[in-house]
Amino acid sequence: MRTYDRSVLRLALNLLRSPEDARDVYQEAFLRVYRNLHTFRFDCSFQTWLYRIVTNICLDLLRKRKVRKEESTVVETSEGPVDRIESFEEDSAHSDPERTMWNRELQGKIEKALEELTPRERLVFEMRHYQGMRLRNIGEILGTSEEAAKNCLFRATRKMRAELGDFV
Amino acid sequence: MTCDAAAKLIPLYGYGDLPPDEEDRLEQHLDECAGCAREVRRQRSLAAALDERSLQPSAALLEDCRAELMAAVRQGEPRAGRAHGSWALLWQAVNESLTGLGRVRQPVGAVALVAIGFFASHFAGIVPGGVSTLSMAPSDNVFSTVRSVDPDSAGHVRIAFDETRRRVVSGNMDDQAIQRLLLAATREDNASVRVESVDALKNHAASSEVRDALLNALSHDPNAGVRLKAVEGLKALAGDPDVRRTLAQSLLTDDNPAVRMQVVDLLVTHRDDAVVGVLQGLMQREDNTYVRLKCEQALKEMNASIGTF
Repeated sequence: MRTYDRSVLRLALNLLRSPEDARDVYQEAFLRVYRNLHTFRFDCSFQTWLYRIVTNICLDLLRKRKVRKEESTVVETSEGPVDRIESFEEDSAHSDPERTMWNRELQGKIEKALEELTPRERLVFEMRHYQGMRLRNIGEILGTSEEAAKNCLFRATRKMRAELGDFV
Repeated sequence: MTCDAAAKLIPLYGYGDLPPDEEDRLEQHLDECAGCAREVRRQRSLAAALDERSLQPSAALLEDCRAELMAAVRQGEPRAGRAHGSWALLWQAVNESLTGLGRVRQPVGAVALVAIGFFASHFAGIVPGGVSTLSMAPSDNVFSTVRSVDPDSAGHVRIAFDETRRRVVSGNMDDQAIQRLLLAATREDNASVRVESVDALKNHAASSEVRDALLNALSHDPNAGVRLKAVEGLKALAGDPDVRRTLAQSLLTDDNPAVRMQVVDLLVTHRDDAVVGVLQGLMQREDNTYVRLKCEQALKEMNASIGTF
């Protein structure tokens, strides 16, 4: 389990941008694994099965958020919880003010662009870009084809490019 | 290829998710179309900007999650003698795992591996209710994190601590349980453990899990030594299209010249038109003299031109 739990937590933290929600996903996912081990049929790898559970929980949370339209900017660091926007400003305090301003706007645009993605697009993008998973594996986890995962990734990147305009 | 067609491929190109023939056609188009080449650069800038927002969970958060999970498990934990259903399977798996990995077999084997990390030490030697009456200090192979200390007026103290217990297992490399442990070790923080694990697995790349681990190590491991071992392990699969795509991607993105040189060697063992395109593309951007020379030599051996026209 220790093989996977760090990457499960990382996926949840990056998707939900909230340590509290990531904790909830972590606990719920592994408790479901624990309670449903007897249903694991070895028709897929354990990793795929685990990620199916994790992504289902994350999709539910993201869908609820789409309704609530709220998202925490507080993240967990080695120094405790910090607001990532404030942290970003602090990190950039010693750099060129124009560059700082530009970076802040860019990060804001990126957050907005990601919010515009559907939960499924967000999930596919997260798993491909940050977790480095292969599209075939992502398709398997989401119970769809590699082609569908590919289309989802395509839509996600196109939307982000459109949202970011001339920023990149 | 039209610019509209190229625009549909560029997002996937950035992730190395195009089939080799499509990638080749796109690269030919990019050589001729400044607008689409600019779009690829923008795509890369976007990827770099997105990389900056990546969060890593802190060790403290991970430890808290593990502790909370254990607490939740204990709340629903039945007594061992009355175990049933999935609990029984888990209990069986833990017992099997504690008597030696060599005897663990699927399906119990896989379940045991799930269970080992968290549950083994917590079931063993702990009375129902999760409180142990320890009269000795944890042994040298147990690493403990004390969570709370609660003395009472009678001179007793109640200490809650988490344990990480070291175990030693040995077995044949063909043993599935051993392979799974090695696969887990390829994700450890310690780079030398990752190097040794990838090295041990490299002759077993026929297994899809090992193959994926090698590809993952080549694409994402921060240590060049691990990536070199992964390239060695992929030698037997140099003709596999997925492997070739990852190799081509590494050739263009890996910051270590030794890795790039090994990848060139591996790619040219199976000649195809896509390799020629990749090597020609590399010649245009490669700064390292030795890699350029190797690349140039490979192109000559394939009777291909050094540059694109």
